[in-house]
Amino acid sequence: MAQQFDVIGSRAPRLDGPAKATGQAIFADDLHFPGMLHGAILQSPHPHARVLSVDASAARRLPGVKAVITAAEVGTIKYGVSPARYDETLFATEKVRYVGDEIAAVAAVDLATALEALSLIKVEYDPLPAVFDPLEALAEGAPLIHDEFPGNVCAEVHQEFGDVEAALAKADYVRTDSLKNKRQDGGFIETHCAVAAPDLNGRVTLYSATQVPHYVQRNVAMVLGLDLSKLRVIKPYVGGGFGPKAEATPLDYCSTALALATGKPVKMAYTREQVFLHSRARHQFIHEMTTGVTRDGKLLALKHRAILDGGAYTSFGIATVYYSGSLLGGPYRMANMKYDGLRAFTNKPACGAQRGHGGVIARALFERQLDLIAKELGIDPVRMRLENMMEVGDVTCNDLNMSSLGMRECIEAVRDGSDWGAKKGKLPRGKGIGAACGFFVSGAGYPIYRSETYHSTVTLKVDEDGGGIKVLSASAEIGQGSDTVLGMIAAESLGVPLDLVRVESGSTDFGVDLGAYSSRQTLMSGHACRDAALMAKNRILGSVAAELGVDPADLDFKNGVLISLGPVLDIAPLRTRYRKEHRGWPNLPDGEALSFAEAARMAFLAQGSIVGTGQYKPPQLGGKYKGAAVGTSPAYGCSAQVVEVAVDLDTGQVRVESITDAHDCGRAINRTAVEGQMEGSISMGLGEALFEEVKFDAKGRVVNPSLGEYHIPTIQDMPAMKCIVVESDEPNGPFGAKEVGEGAIMPTIPAILNAVFDATGAVITELPLTPERVLRAIREAQGKE
Amino acid sequence: MLLPRFDYQRPRDLSEALGLLAQAGDQARPLAGGTDLLVNLKLGKVTCRLVVDLDGVAELKDVSGPGEAPSLGALLSAAWLAKQAGGLGLMGLAEAGGVLGSPQVRNRATIGGNLCTARPAGDLCTALLALDARVVLAGASGRRELPVEQFITGPGLTAIAPGEILLAARPAPGATAGGSAFEKLGLRRTMEIALVSAAVWVQSEADGRTVKAARVALGAVGPTPLLARAAATALVGRPAGTEAFAAAAQAAAEAARPIDDHRGSAEYRRQMVAVLTRRALERAWSRALEATA
Amino acid sequence: MNKLALTLNVNGQDYDLLCEPSRTLAQALREDLGLTGTKVGCGVGDCGACTVLVDGQTVNSCLVLATQAAGKAIVTIEGLADGPKLHPIQEAFVEHGAIQCGFCSPGMILSAKALLDANPAPSELEIRQGLSGNLCRCTGYQKIVQAVDSAARTLRGERTVG
Repeated sequence: MAQQFDVIGSRAPRLDGPAKATGQAIFADDLHFPGMLHGAILQSPHPHARVLSVDASAARRLPGVKAVITAAEVGTIKYGVSPARYDETLFATEKVRYVGDEIAAVAAVDLATALEALSLIKVEYDPLPAVFDPLEALAEGAPLIHDEFPGNVCAEVHQEFGDVEAALAKADYVRTDSLKNKRQDGGFIETHCAVAAPDLNGRVTLYSATQVPHYVQRNVAMVLGLDLSKLRVIKPYVGGGFGPKAEATPLDYCSTALALATGKPVKMAYTREQVFLHSRARHQFIHEMTTGVTRDGKLLALKHRAILDGGAYTSFGIATVYYSGSLLGGPYRMANMKYDGLRAFTNKPACGAQRGHGGVIARALFERQLDLIAKELGIDPVRMRLENMMEVGDVTCNDLNMSSLGMRECIEAVRDGSDWGAKKGKLPRGKGIGAACGFFVSGAGYPIYRSETYHSTVTLKVDEDGGGIKVLSASAEIGQGSDTVLGMIAAESLGVPLDLVRVESGSTDFGVDLGAYSSRQTLMSGHACRDAALMAKNRILGSVAAELGVDPADLDFKNGVLISLGPVLDIAPLRTRYRKEHRGWPNLPDGEALSFAEAARMAFLAQGSIVGTGQYKPPQLGGKYKGAAVGTSPAYGCSAQVVEVAVDLDTGQVRVESITDAHDCGRAINRTAVEGQMEGSISMGLGEALFEEVKFDAKGRVVNPSLGEYHIPTIQDMPAMKCIVVESDEPNGPFGAKEVGEGAIMPTIPAILNAVFDATGAVITELPLTPERVLRAIREAQGKE
Repeated sequence: MLLPRFDYQRPRDLSEALGLLAQAGDQARPLAGGTDLLVNLKLGKVTCRLVVDLDGVAELKDVSGPGEAPSLGALLSAAWLAKQAGGLGLMGLAEAGGVLGSPQVRNRATIGGNLCTARPAGDLCTALLALDARVVLAGASGRRELPVEQFITGPGLTAIAPGEILLAARPAPGATAGGSAFEKLGLRRTMEIALVSAAVWVQSEADGRTVKAARVALGAVGPTPLLARAAATALVGRPAGTEAFAAAAQAAAEAARPIDDHRGSAEYRRQMVAVLTRRALERAWSRALEATA
Repeated sequence: MNKLALTLNVNGQDYDLLCEPSRTLAQALREDLGLTGTKVGCGVGDCGACTVLVDGQTVNSCLVLATQAAGKAIVTIEGLADGPKLHPIQEAFVEHGAIQCGFCSPGMILSAKALLDANPAPSELEIRQGLSGNLCRCTGYQKIVQAVDSAARTLRGERTVG
């Protein structure tokens, strides 16, 4: 890597760190406006029922109530995530389909009054038979949840690349395995919140704890019949998203509708229980895979079937069921792959996207199966992976293009970093080591709605006095560090120190950005940011070159000063002019070189405000088959992990003792942030492997809608992690960068499963690894010995 | 999440507190640390018109002095127990205090609150049961004492009468002559309600080999924390060690009355009773030897 | 219901309030005093986001009535920095990347403060135990542990931040 960077690749502290460390950072629920009302939503207590009538008259009469809205007031325009599957209305009219389905909303002077008003709304229900299990939902005679979807089939995918049956027939060894997980929750600490503030000109500003201001703006405007120009969406600081905040919520729609109805700002937030009822988090997946290999472990074919429990609505589910198959195309060479995926409707909250969208459990089973194959063939599982992996330039059987791929480096890094050779097969019973790899997109190749829109635009404005730079982006900083990444990209592109850059993001007023999902912002928003910065820089250099009488191509900025790649510059006249403008000021620039501030000021004097714009949409990507839009991406990140566990053979408790992780993120823009994404991904993967499960009772109610009973890892559950950043130079990424936010979760679950198998011989086909489940599997394995 | 509205009083002494409770009848709730009451009020599981904050009643924080029979004021916190109960010779109670909830919860949660909430999984309840503790209750008509075993009558149910206040928990006077330990199994390493817990207390004969007395209490495997008498019987008079501990563990498992729920099956819980009992006995026995020495 | 007149001492400053008895400390801090640095993530003591110090001890302010904290010394995240200068724990959280979304950070930092006030040289296990009541979904906690360890060294005078 010949290129030298001044800002990129550093460990610059987050731009928002001090604000967040001191409590100054404002999140949605911290907002307060004069006259602000508080809203609440009435939700169905029934999992499946006809709605016969809704009588809100008593609620409307309650003193302090300012508005009550039902379907009669807001209409029944259908919405969802993918326009092809708009299957939700804001309020149920004919039917409710899960416990939590929305009926009405209220705005009142305070929350207590709003909640009291909800209790006064009379709803007549006619309960219908409900179905909660995806297999039962797909069975003949199951209660039908949507008239439009016979058999409760939300979506079906049937793909075949190559000839799987022929390849399996030639295989020396074929095995079939299965794995299922449980529905998960995002577990972000900030619950969803929205505050809508109307102005007196018919416009509303919606402050929403969202990952996707752009989609929220479009959906809320569409559902409420507003011109897009009448609705601005601003994302304040957001307390984590991980996917379940990647679509507009009923809070967004209701607060906006109530604000328009009352002319007052309206705040609405979910309780923790309502977060579970809203869900839109990880599906339950039931996977079965049949894989064929040669006797030396070369992968020939994969036949894969998946059933997803989608809950009551489609949400992101179409993408989920596609990702669940397509992401197995890499990172191993495999010419034949068949996938049959099916997403079922059930009378439970709708599932959506969550970190590693669609691919996590499929990856877990496939990597688990690779270990079982390796054991059967007597091959070291790490070596087997090394021998099958793809290299840069490979294209998968489903047309995913490996424009960069540090897979070998990742595997070797965790093998060596964990001392694999000294441990694999040599640990005492109860101790185990396991490895796995992962693979993920670096930004979805296509927007959620069919459009030729740019995926990201950035406007970069240089202060008129030349002193600083403002990056304006509609991207969503949700904790992952995108503001800092964009600031660093702008600084590097301009050749200035990071502290000259301010990043303003998260407002739809700043342009188009599809938001924080599919690990897209570093690559896509980063591209737009770099281009905006280069345009602004070129404008400044043009003016300066004209003043100095040199070729602009001979000029550049580095570390905040003008440098010449050609003749020696005489900057004295420019400096004199600048100093005259700033007579009396302390600390004027006096170095040998012209400062960025001086140059930018000269450019302003010559041209007016210096603004650069940049925009990005992915190039034409491969794949012409149905569903090719899900899984194709400008770039792919990959990762490998080695996990060591200790299993208590008496109780079945699994303790993860250490994790060595390597991730190829292209070029690391900010090393600390890259590690942070790796470590955070691991903790979510560990939670999903060991603890996490949203449970329902026989009436479709969530049994454990709290962070006390839905167990995300605590600080005492997390082991020390060794995170190794593997850098490749991704040609499609800005400065060679690509994703780390989601791909890093992929190896965690299978590496833990493989380590538990190594420790105990227990074959586990159901997550999470509760002590009880593990102990049962240990005993079953002992019984077979 | 909102609390329902209620009135609030903070009496300065016991008689004022008792007066307030007597006056309000079943409309009043005493408030100790609040980690259960305020949650239950928010969730609508409990309703009341008056909250009587006991924080100003000084004697509820009293602790017995050195050499006295142990007595622990109802308002002593789990965090206090975690730090101090070991010094009083009540290590099992210290361990239970140290694994209850989170540090923030331990700073607030109290002995009295844990006893009166009477969860089947209550960590302090189970530990106190193993120490043969009695609770001291004060009411309009005076004071009375009850063994913990009789005080907790069902899940969330106790023998406390309307208007009564729990003053203190008193481990058996001889409790410090033995060793105790507490074992808890949950999914996570912390912030857990016990899936199963076991609290044991053992005393050694002067020979340092023979079990002189024992008590085994089990949490989360019955409608209340249970005393496994058969487990104690399996120990007393026998030489301490693997065999006796295994027999006691087996007896404890048989004494358990677990149910299936979303946290775990009855069968698994029963098996874990044996594992936790054995582990707790091993630790308690070494403490018993120190207490005897 | 009768409202209560009470005085809360927050970050060294007395504030007079008239509030419903059922007002929690978290509500009083956030809504009455405008100190929104204290976050609420669950309302029932499961997450630790609303952690503040009352007489030096960590509590979940969602499970303490405002009136219960009257007359005691309350410290919130707004009370740690010395003017424009961050407290060494805050500084370390920023420097080590211990903050991502930042929603758990105020509570986490206050738990760290209580820990280091009581134990200036904690082991890694003690750090993990001390912070075990604060959930974080973003970081995997590793950089939080590093930040607390680093802050402890700074506070002991073994290193200077920067």
